[in-house]
Amino acid sequence: MSSDPDKMMSKADKMTKLTLTRWSADWRGATELYEQAANGFRASNKYEKAKVALEKASKGQEMQASPWDAAKHMESAAALAQKLSIWNEVADFYRKASELYVECGRAQPASDALGKAARALEDVKPDDAIQLYTDACEILEEDGRDQMAFDLYRACANVYIKLEKFTDAATFFLRLGVAADKCDATNSQCKAYLSAIILYLYAHDLQQAEKCYNDCSQIDAFLKSDQSRSASRLLTAYNEGDIEEIKKVASASTVSNLDHMIIKLARKLPTGDVTAIQMNTNDDLDEDDLT
Amino acid sequence: MGVIDLITRVDSICKKYEKYDINRQRDANVSGDDAFSRLYSAVEYALETVLQKTEDLSSETNKAKAVAMNAEIRRTKARLLEGIPKLQRLSLKKVKGLSKEELDARNDLVLSLRDKIEAIPESSAPVVGGWEASTSYSNIRFDTNVSDDRIGSEYFQPTGESDQFKQEYEMKRIKQARLDYIAEGLDTLKNMAQDINEELDRQEPLMDEIDTKIDKAATDLKSTNVRLKDTVTKLRSSRNFCIDIILLCILLGIAAFIYNSVK
Repeated sequence: MSSDPDKMMSKADKMTKLTLTRWSADWRGATELYEQAANGFRASNKYEKAKVALEKASKGQEMQASPWDAAKHMESAAALAQKLSIWNEVADFYRKASELYVECGRAQPASDALGKAARALEDVKPDDAIQLYTDACEILEEDGRDQMAFDLYRACANVYIKLEKFTDAATFFLRLGVAADKCDATNSQCKAYLSAIILYLYAHDLQQAEKCYNDCSQIDAFLKSDQSRSASRLLTAYNEGDIEEIKKVASASTVSNLDHMIIKLARKLPTGDVTAIQMNTNDDLDEDDLT
Repeated sequence: MGVIDLITRVDSICKKYEKYDINRQRDANVSGDDAFSRLYSAVEYALETVLQKTEDLSSETNKAKAVAMNAEIRRTKARLLEGIPKLQRLSLKKVKGLSKEELDARNDLVLSLRDKIEAIPESSAPVVGGWEASTSYSNIRFDTNVSDDRIGSEYFQPTGESDQFKQEYEMKRIKQARLDYIAEGLDTLKNMAQDINEELDRQEPLMDEIDTKIDKAATDLKSTNVRLKDTVTKLRSSRNFCIDIILLCILLGIAAFIYNSVK
């Protein structure tokens, strides 16, 4: 057999086309040739052609009802597309790989594929990366593997922080809290809630931070935790306009154990003018209303 | 795959990608190029989604989920309110084929939409008493009329007792600082232990899965070994049979040769 990858490709293409003499496509033989051609192209640094060969090999495996191998080839093609900086294809290939993994009932690799795509696109197309992370989390949630999604939630929140969408990041941390609650990961849950509160404070939205704290305090695990005490101290300091106390709490060990992005933001607290914040506790009370 | 399954799948795919069907969009929305109607319908759809979420929230029993849903509702509400000024600006723009009455009605639509958005309930939990400002006690008074001569005299001169007290205080302060340092270390250690515990919980199902797979592989290997042994035995027995026949022939040949030579 000729070792020229181009010849292998053309031969494989012929094997998949129907003619007067060939009434059914020989996908098995063609797939083997595509795989060999891909290896040949890769060895000679012709990544564009190797990518095409792997795509076709993936199609071949799919036609042979072997979604696992098809997904593997798709992932390899995506990695090559990443090398070539063809970002649209990176996302498409990894998505396709994920679908193929789901087809053969493997949620974890499916989620990993989307995670890889998101990591590849984080700097180039952050919005797409967020969508990919979200989809990856959903795949694991549907399969009841919430514990495996923690890192994905954090990564997605970090992308939001890079984009300075702090409210969205906080919401994602609260979603992490839900996942942690499902699998009794109390520590991660409490950290997620404190992270969300810090994000609201960094966005200079004390009202939202207080609402978030009140909501989270409904959960016993959080109420009894060190993170709850830190959040309470932070909010007290904000309401009293005590900058020193804010800085002290922000550099405490409870905050130092959070995500590195959150620690960075916490160190910068307070943002904006804290002295301007006044507690409007009695403003909305009607003296005549005795109920 | 049956025909019904096929039709169902095709329908779902068509529904998923119908936003790209230009003809359908044109039929559905006569003023397809009208930015106001596009934005208005988008906001209205988002509003419906939020209202649906608030309904779901009222029946939600999982507190953690309720927290996340609350935040989601507040976030969407804020985002919708941010979009209202843009809608108001667009409502004032004149559009081809739109009567003055309809143009006036648009502003009312925007106002009613704003009211609807503001009416979205934010069911936040009651305030947990935790960060009320402490009120200072006003009856404490400081004695300020200490005469200068008392300050200048040996009134503040150190004595052996005061030195001892100062030394003791310094010692305690150093001890406290060390204790704080240890406490911080313990806190970090505790956090690491909790993280390790959670990580172990995460790894456990994976290990179980690997265990199951290894058991399956071991079983497969055993059965393959048995079959292989069987095959080898069969092969060897047939080969032995051939050798036996050859040896028998040789033996008969030798016997015949001896017989001939004796004869």
